[in-house]
Amino acid sequence: MAYKVRLDNFEGPFDLLVYLIENAEMSIYDIQVAEITRQYIAHVEAMQSRDLALSGEFMVLAAVLIEIKSKMLLPRAKAGEGEAGADPRQELAQKLLEYRKYRAAAERLSEREELAGLVIEKPQEDLLPYTGEPDEYLRMDPARFAQAFRAFLSRKQRIDEVRRVYARVERQRATVESRILFIERLFRQKRVRSLRFGELIGEGGRFEVVLTFISLLEMIRSKCVRAVQKGSFAEITLELCGKGETADVQQEGREVGL
Amino acid sequence: MFSRKAAKSAFESMLFVWGEPLDAKMAADAIGMDLKTARECFRELQDEYGGAGRGVEIREIDGAFQFVTRAENFDYVKRLCTPVKERRLSQSALEALAIIAYRQPVTKGEIDSIRGVKCDRVVEGLARKGLVEEKGRSAAVGRPTLYGTTRDFLRHFGFESLDELPDIDDIEGAIHEPDGDVADGSEQIEIDLGAAAPGGGL
Repeated sequence: MAYKVRLDNFEGPFDLLVYLIENAEMSIYDIQVAEITRQYIAHVEAMQSRDLALSGEFMVLAAVLIEIKSKMLLPRAKAGEGEAGADPRQELAQKLLEYRKYRAAAERLSEREELAGLVIEKPQEDLLPYTGEPDEYLRMDPARFAQAFRAFLSRKQRIDEVRRVYARVERQRATVESRILFIERLFRQKRVRSLRFGELIGEGGRFEVVLTFISLLEMIRSKCVRAVQKGSFAEITLELCGKGETADVQQEGREVGL
Repeated sequence: MFSRKAAKSAFESMLFVWGEPLDAKMAADAIGMDLKTARECFRELQDEYGGAGRGVEIREIDGAFQFVTRAENFDYVKRLCTPVKERRLSQSALEALAIIAYRQPVTKGEIDSIRGVKCDRVVEGLARKGLVEEKGRSAAVGRPTLYGTTRDFLRHFGFESLDELPDIDDIEGAIHEPDGDVADGSEQIEIDLGAAAPGGGL
């Protein structure tokens, strides 16, 4: 049997199916499933061959159609056996009717939209000039506006230059190594074998305290110093360890001895 | 106290300045008039413009009024300012919009099931255009968003209010059904009965 194939982009499987049913002059209540399924699948294949992006829903409906046809081939259950007796096409018919109703409503809306498109409304204009706070920029002539913009640009440029300079002057933060050297030098300068933790810090902030403490732990680990604390929160006292003295300190000691 | 004539004159000026749909309530408050009388004044103005066949008319949208051009003059306006902005919706957008308009508040899932395809992007597009908006959450599983139409929807389609939507069952009745409507109609009734009371008439 020959049939026309429309290759428009259908909005969805229902759109295609309703088109086929209407085109075949069938009643939605009495769909000839075998015929419609044949046409439906032919359309889907034609659309696929034209590389139209088909959504999976088209396949789902094809499966539904085949399922309905297979149910119809089975011997019909007798009346009185509940839902099994119902026409397997019924659910689909209801859905198609519902869809067709809204598609028709969409057509009406489209007509309405076309008519409404003939009416032009005036967008609201800037009401600021009529309010208490007229925008002064609107009253400025272009030359002055350009001048203001240039002034803004040069100010921005100046600020950027200053920022660039300041960006380079980043504070050099001390490392653990440099701190250890500093502490060792402190021992040498003061010519003592023990120092209080507080003496190592000076006026430094939190960073200094933390860094000094970590350096101290490092020195204890390498057995340069011994730390003594007489109780919780009490002052920590550092004592140079005789055998763990660094080369520098030993050298210094010899110099002192001389 | 404002005389009716002075009030109408004042409203006319307000409409001219406002451009956008002007809420009758806002205009009434501005001159200390009660809403009912204000609305009457607006409708009288509307009749005066409409009846005189002026090029500018007053349109009512959702209790607000707005100066608009007369549709018959569209071609002339178009000649003056081509190209006039096209603002038609696609077929799929119209279908989704029709479902939302008639069944609001409605979830995306319901729209999907009626159209037989996923509608997320279409609905998002409609929301972006300001034609539909979220109206809350459904009590169903997952608490899906409910959608409804906006005032801009009425404006876009030239409806005064949602009551102006054509009756959907009338639209359906107008659809031509081949193979004899009477027989189909009776069959439909049987199906409905079958669906309502399984095990019945069929």
